[in-house]
Amino acid sequence: MSSPFAINGGACVAMVGKDCVAIACDLRLGLQALTVSNNFPKIFSYGDVYLGLTGLATDVSTVSDLFRYKVNMYRLREERNIAPSTMANLVSSSLYERRFGPYFVSPVVAGIDQKSGKPFICGFDSIGCIDFAKDFIVSGTASDQLFGTCEGLWEPDLGPEDLFETISQALLNAVDRDALSGWGAHVYIIEKDKTTKRLLKGRQD
Amino acid sequence: MTMFSQNPLMNGPNYSFSQTPTMASGANKEHSFYPYTDNGGSTLAISGNDFMIMAGDTRSTSGYNINTRYSPKVFKIGGTTSSQDDATLVLSVVGFAADGHALKEKLDAIVKMYRYQHGKPMSVKACAQRLSTILYGKRFFPYYVTAILGGLDEDGKGAVYSYDPVGSYEREQCRAAGAAASLIMPFLDNQVNFKNQYIPGSGEGHALVERAKDPLPLVVVEALVKDAFDSAVERHIEVGDGLSMMLITKNGIEEKFLPLKKD
Repeated sequence: MSSPFAINGGACVAMVGKDCVAIACDLRLGLQALTVSNNFPKIFSYGDVYLGLTGLATDVSTVSDLFRYKVNMYRLREERNIAPSTMANLVSSSLYERRFGPYFVSPVVAGIDQKSGKPFICGFDSIGCIDFAKDFIVSGTASDQLFGTCEGLWEPDLGPEDLFETISQALLNAVDRDALSGWGAHVYIIEKDKTTKRLLKGRQD
Repeated sequence: MTMFSQNPLMNGPNYSFSQTPTMASGANKEHSFYPYTDNGGSTLAISGNDFMIMAGDTRSTSGYNINTRYSPKVFKIGGTTSSQDDATLVLSVVGFAADGHALKEKLDAIVKMYRYQHGKPMSVKACAQRLSTILYGKRFFPYYVTAILGGLDEDGKGAVYSYDPVGSYEREQCRAAGAAASLIMPFLDNQVNFKNQYIPGSGEGHALVERAKDPLPLVVVEALVKDAFDSAVERHIEVGDGLSMMLITKNGIEEKFLPLKKD
């Protein structure tokens, strides 16, 4: 239990729907079994792209700030928002830069490409290997549980409302079987020109 | 000769044990023996109003190796003959297959003796307590298995009893065990016990009304079992090949076999 990935706990999941994507995370921050905070979101917004970060909380903060800096610099130079697929490659190369002293995070990227309108999600390991998925990406201490619920509940071409219900049920039921995750959730439903953020209460234990 | 020596130091084949003798700097050999292996696989049991389903995949593994694609983990217990045609109880064991087999044989013999001595079949409730006693009897050299016992209770309702390796047990609506338990169990919470499901518009916070826990019909439960295993097979390498299912109703036990992905 001394894995840096499992000290603070937390879970994140992203899913593809029909012309929409969803990304959700829990809110717990803990030190081993002790819960320190129940308001520690793990999803960060960078214009059109959303980044979910689970793992060591100090690295979650550091990495999210690092990408805020990098994406701001990109925006100043290019005078446009960063596309999800570009963000994926930025995340990958930034993590691989720390190949032999990695950030202990498992990132998830989700967004809709504003040019093509296509949904995009992907996940990474801590040194930047990209997992492009057509269905869903899971990460965090409840990843086993999330694989089970997502594999059982997800289906192709879900509309925004059905996708919200699916990702919420997948996350809530997964974190209820993980002692290190839970304490409420944030769910983002991303459509081409609209993003809805919902706060779920969930079990408070 | 050396190739039949069973000695890796003489270039013979390896022991099946996880550790092989190593030569110390002197001539002293250090031997060790670990009596347990994890043979992977998963089991699942769901009870209904007047039935219960016990299921388990049929793959047996050691490490990344597949020993066999057909080694059932679900057994009928306590029939009058070796064919177990008239059995009313089922036991599933997952973990260390050899211990699982030994446990099944022992429980079967005990339930058979019970019928012989008392002139009536053993109830699930009695069998459940007996199984706990058997497991705790080996508290300091345990059967390395997660067992699930199933049958119909005295009222004819489906009964599922789940155990830890040393006999702690509980009656439940449903239970997943084994390698993919962490994948299957939250799915079951949601689809069998309707966890995190509320009546739309029934209120906020504590005022929310939970979805009624209506008992599931057999066809729905059977579909859930298949879905759960298809999901587990997709994401867990130790689960696959075949699904052995037993449906227990008042008419007896119906056995079913379904293929799963073999990759």
